[in-house]
Amino acid sequence: MKDIFRLENVIHQYSGRTVLDIQNFEVKEGEALALLGPNGSGKSTLLRILAFLEKPTKGRVYYDGKMVNEPSFAHRREVTLLLQNSPLLKRSVEENLCYGLKVRGKTSNMQEKVRTALEMVGLNPQKFAKRKWFELSGGEAQRVALASRLILKPRVLLLDEPTSSVDSESAKVMKEAILKAKSQWGSTLVIVSHDLAWIYQVTERALSLFNGKLINHVPENVLSGNWEPRNGSLFALKLSDGQIIMGAGNPMESSTALLDPKDVIICAEKPEEDSALNALEGTIVSMNLARDTGQVLVKTLVGDKTISSLVTEKSMKNLHLHPGLKVFLHFKASALKWLQ
Amino acid sequence: MNYILEGFIGAINLLLTKDPETYSAIWTTLRISTLSITFTLLLGIPLGFLLGHYSFPGKRVLRTIVDTLLALPTVVVGLLVYAFISRRGPFGELGLLFTIPGVAIGQFILALPIVVSLTASAIEGMDPKVYLTIKTLGASNKQAAIASLWEGRYAVLAAAITAYSRVISEVGISMMIGGNIKWHTRTITTAIALETGKGEFSMGIALGAVLLAFAFFANTLVSFLRRRA
Repeated sequence: MKDIFRLENVIHQYSGRTVLDIQNFEVKEGEALALLGPNGSGKSTLLRILAFLEKPTKGRVYYDGKMVNEPSFAHRREVTLLLQNSPLLKRSVEENLCYGLKVRGKTSNMQEKVRTALEMVGLNPQKFAKRKWFELSGGEAQRVALASRLILKPRVLLLDEPTSSVDSESAKVMKEAILKAKSQWGSTLVIVSHDLAWIYQVTERALSLFNGKLINHVPENVLSGNWEPRNGSLFALKLSDGQIIMGAGNPMESSTALLDPKDVIICAEKPEEDSALNALEGTIVSMNLARDTGQVLVKTLVGDKTISSLVTEKSMKNLHLHPGLKVFLHFKASALKWLQ
Repeated sequence: MNYILEGFIGAINLLLTKDPETYSAIWTTLRISTLSITFTLLLGIPLGFLLGHYSFPGKRVLRTIVDTLLALPTVVVGLLVYAFISRRGPFGELGLLFTIPGVAIGQFILALPIVVSLTASAIEGMDPKVYLTIKTLGASNKQAAIASLWEGRYAVLAAAITAYSRVISEVGISMMIGGNIKWHTRTITTAIALETGKGEFSMGIALGAVLLAFAFFANTLVSFLRRRA
């Protein structure tokens, strides 16, 4: 697969403050990529750069193999972005869907296209096409906003928190519509979401952003706080319930550690004492299937922190894992990677 | 008090019998105000969008100037326009003094800050995501500007009606630039001023009633649109 997007040494600043600092970033044509990270990490800014709504302060953006200095109309019309809590235009549902087609001059068979797009997002065209923007619920409005993008059959569909304000039924319908766009038209998907259960069912690859920097693996667990020095090269982070996470290495004070969910093992029993091995007691709060690997992402509440771990279906059955179960999380102190 | 009552009865008579002099003033007022408001909207709405949407150095100063011009006295506008289009002025050869286009130019200057300022406020008050949404759907800058103005259509229309109310009820410019010439540049407001001075209350009241009807209609519309906006 060729790269549809490539970013090189991109820095983006607002009023002199760097919000994005990316050395290399590629999106393959036709893939479904998840962008994860805490609020303020630069995810939405990155989406706006990919949507050609903003030009990075420094660096190069390549689209379809060519460097983009000033995005052409053709580029901008192949890429569409669904903003977080995207407002609808103050028009009927039908007119909202037709707007993108009209500005492209694609005015043939609009009724049919509207019908198909509304059906894709699970809305009855006869019931909804003539409704005004204020006659829709929050979930319906978000589905109409998605349909307004799907009707364009975009080459790249960028979604910023598409399910943040919708119920589970709407989220399910939106997931199916997005996956249909990918399978039918080969649309490339780049999705930002905090709804991990949802995003793992839609995407095949995930990247994380932290303080504007891209992290090329998915650190589900970002452990921030005051790390205090202990014996040797070990450092300790105290949790609200008194348990302690041990990390090996040389962190700065108040630095952040990343812990890959693959390095976290779930056990029913507490292991023997070992200062280099963490054994934290917690309660499982959620379990979600990761679409690409078939593994299950298990989230466990430990003190005031939620720690994610990836387990196989077999392990899940053997341990009889379920939400509410008390378990022990094991991981080596050396598994923590320090982000200075 | 009888003369006021007689004035009202006379006014109704003038309106019902379609008195030519009365209707000439009404017709002239409509011609001038339509001409001035048309050009005001053609220039003022795009300028209002630019002022409201874009950030640029000196924007705050420009905004303050435009807002200050909202309180522009009509006699000052009349004086300035007179200076420019009178025989001795730089545009004296165009022969605009004491003509309908001359008065319309003055009213255009009066109404432009209103449309620019209120349109800019409408755009500034809009959720910034609306413009971005329009752009993400593939609109060009021009298409996005038109769509944004359409999104704020009630507020923009309210700006237009506010400006129209201002020009239709002004007297200073019409008097100074138009010269209050009977059958030619005499408007509702200048006729009221003249007839009242002469003690002819009937025509003054008749024209005043028409003006009030216009103002009432315009303000009702503005009030309705503000609720919709």
